[in-house]
Amino acid sequence: MTEIDVSDIQGFALRGYNFPFARYLLLELLDPKPAQRFAGHVIPHVTTGVKWDSGKPASTVNIAFTHPGLIQLGLPEETLLSFPVEFQQGMKARAEILGDTGKDAPERWDDAWQEDRVHVWLGVNSRSQEALEHRCSEMLRIADETKGARLLYAQDASSIFIDKQQTSKEHFGYTDGFGNPDFKGAQRDCVPGQGKLTADGRWEALATGEFLLGYADESGELPVAPIPHLLARNGTFMAYRKMHQNVATFRRYLDEQAKRYAPGTKEQLAAKFLGRWRDGTPLELSPDRPDQSIVKDPNRNTDFTYGADQGGARCPLGAHIRRANPRDAFGFNGKLVNRRRIMRRGMPYGTYVPEGQPVNDKDERGIVFIALNASLFRQFEFVQQQWIQYGNDSLQGNDNDLLTGNHGGKGKFVVQGTTDPRNPPFICGALPDFVELRGGDYFFMPGLTALHMMAAGTVDPR
Amino acid sequence: MANQNGQIYGLTILSPIIQGDSKDLAHASAIRWYLARQPRDRRSPLARVTGTHQARLVVMDDVVYVGAPACEEHLQSRYLVFETNFDGDLDAYLMRMAAEAHEFVHSVWQHCVAYPGVDDPHAFAAYMKKCQVNTTFYFADVNNKTVKQNLQALQLQSALARFIERHQGEEPAVIQKAFGEFLETMRRAPAPEPGGDDAHRTPQENRPHD
Amino acid sequence: MTNINGKAYAMNAITPMKWWKTPLLRIFFFVLGLVKPLQADLKNLSFIHFARWVIVPRNGFPHLSEKQPAENLRYDYLLFFSNFNGTWNQYIDAFSAVLSIGLNLIWWWSEKYPGAVPVTPFKEYIGRVQFDTDYYYNSYPRAATNDIKAALRVQDAVDEFAKTSQSLTLGDFEKAYVEFLVKVQPDLGSTGMAPVGT
Repeated sequence: MTEIDVSDIQGFALRGYNFPFARYLLLELLDPKPAQRFAGHVIPHVTTGVKWDSGKPASTVNIAFTHPGLIQLGLPEETLLSFPVEFQQGMKARAEILGDTGKDAPERWDDAWQEDRVHVWLGVNSRSQEALEHRCSEMLRIADETKGARLLYAQDASSIFIDKQQTSKEHFGYTDGFGNPDFKGAQRDCVPGQGKLTADGRWEALATGEFLLGYADESGELPVAPIPHLLARNGTFMAYRKMHQNVATFRRYLDEQAKRYAPGTKEQLAAKFLGRWRDGTPLELSPDRPDQSIVKDPNRNTDFTYGADQGGARCPLGAHIRRANPRDAFGFNGKLVNRRRIMRRGMPYGTYVPEGQPVNDKDERGIVFIALNASLFRQFEFVQQQWIQYGNDSLQGNDNDLLTGNHGGKGKFVVQGTTDPRNPPFICGALPDFVELRGGDYFFMPGLTALHMMAAGTVDPR
Repeated sequence: MANQNGQIYGLTILSPIIQGDSKDLAHASAIRWYLARQPRDRRSPLARVTGTHQARLVVMDDVVYVGAPACEEHLQSRYLVFETNFDGDLDAYLMRMAAEAHEFVHSVWQHCVAYPGVDDPHAFAAYMKKCQVNTTFYFADVNNKTVKQNLQALQLQSALARFIERHQGEEPAVIQKAFGEFLETMRRAPAPEPGGDDAHRTPQENRPHD
Repeated sequence: MTNINGKAYAMNAITPMKWWKTPLLRIFFFVLGLVKPLQADLKNLSFIHFARWVIVPRNGFPHLSEKQPAENLRYDYLLFFSNFNGTWNQYIDAFSAVLSIGLNLIWWWSEKYPGAVPVTPFKEYIGRVQFDTDYYYNSYPRAATNDIKAALRVQDAVDEFAKTSQSLTLGDFEKAYVEFLVKVQPDLGSTGMAPVGT
């Protein structure tokens, strides 16, 4: 059993808090000494991975830095240069690699991201709006008093509430949040389907080093990490992407296509886009209808493989979740997928509009997509480039992901089916862009020891 | 025969490059900078050598020194590596090279030792075979289709996807007739040219799908 | 970048082998050629068009004239040429993850080979022994080997359906067309440019 030092790891990296409200404060750091003072004053507030045995806090705080942010903090040159290349470049410079072109191109991003002044992500999650406001003012007061940081932009996010109940839905109506990877040392029960496949078809936790630096990873070594060891250990990397959702376009497209889709059922077609019914039922487990009994059972709702569905008749070969986590779809017992997993922590933003009510693409709504991994290049970037924006591995050629891919009005999605008229083969063409990237960057989320060193200015390169 | 896998022949040629008295780079460089200027798409001279699936030319300057305790050693000559994967018979292929790509062949191989010129295809083929090294193990994912068959299949695949999408939901009578027309169109369609036309395009110039 | 043409990457590698280890490698290749299931993993990975290993014994470099100085080498050399799809990193990651035994059986005989697992020293070794292509031609640059195989399956299905499609009655055609769609449906991906090499 891998021992990980939970008091040294930021809680955000170890588990999803499941709090309904969040605000992501994007800050610019000022001169190094005040910036270090700012970091030092934030540290006591940072939520670690220690269990909440005496009850949940009202709010949590976590912190992460871009490479320009680390420069601003005054880290030594050699340390800065030892960070992975993609992190040093930042997400904007990686646009071509990620397929962030056309409507997703950096030139069209929100102002806050245009000048490379985003240095710090301060993530505040909370159980209530008041707690959120309180905590955020506290953080901004620290920024003011230390003169170490300045707020560039505050991004609010929250769970979607339907009939006053907190849900894990996103704006297209899909139930989100399944399938986050299990790794050794993460403090929650191993849920079937979330880890990696064993030779005898069971599930076990992935190596810690796929998600935290300083621990063995799936390929039998310590992941490539910046120096010194103390700076990297217990840290991780985060991809933050504000994804605007064109809900009106999506609903219109789904309606139009559903009319031509022989069974005529919108819900079935929507399920084929994602790989789960919008209530969360996996198509592989229940291809004909949603089934809440599966959804509500954590031991079932993500326990499935694609081996018995090589033809895609249950879950299309190019469905979103099949692309993002192919499980055993490539053969080799899933081994080709184990080093491509990402931990998702994102949340919706913007007002939810229920089905049937008028909605406008221009309104601010979407999802703040957040992925955590030990290697942005090998994990997040790979999934985005090879599996979302491309289809060779899913045997779909150049067809890319319907929901999040970059289409420009062209491209197609094939729904594989059977001779049963209730599940026919169908092609969705002329794909609009359902999501648009509005900004984001790569962040390093350090462990607590590393944070102390950074705040004290005592990082040595070797 | 390890050089062959199914209908595909894997030819590996190492042609010694002329050194000259001063052991200078002149001939190797000439090959390199000539190759750098040649088109690599359907205008490639190798596109005219029918049956070439994929082929490469590499100026191999030296063997590699992998580091102590391995010993350091060096080649006395540079070698031009020609690795090609093609349909059918070796002699016929080599003579086709001489006939269809004679300017390219001459520009490259004139810098190689004992090159007999390209005017006599038999002599050229014999010379190339003297430079041939045996492939010890040859893997081919698809080993039973010619270049033309592959290209025609790709063309058909693309056209069929468009056909299916266009006729979704129509009456069977309409589809049946249209499918007959489709088959006829595809039968008469000229074989696509090998080599494509976008080897040099950057991704932004060709987004997302055609 | 001349190593890349469309979706295909031309990798070249050369590694030195002590002469007495070469026969062992030849035996392994001989067995590999005969025992088809050993090649199955390579086919199932499905991202190599063509790949070849060429043993050049130390006196095996072509010598065509007295004016050409004779080679005087201690080692035999193993040349490797691959035409594969995907990025350099993706390719090596995949091989290291699922074909390490096969890779080790081939390259163990080469000097200073570190083994295919873990992957970081393996990538470093490949970087050292790889040399770049000067000219790469690809007759189907917009097609990965997956695309070609899919297209060939579509060709077969169309050829088969063409035999009867026009002579069936409407009712039979309707049924046969759906069956035809089900047959070709996994193989309709479009072709085009590859993602940026990384």
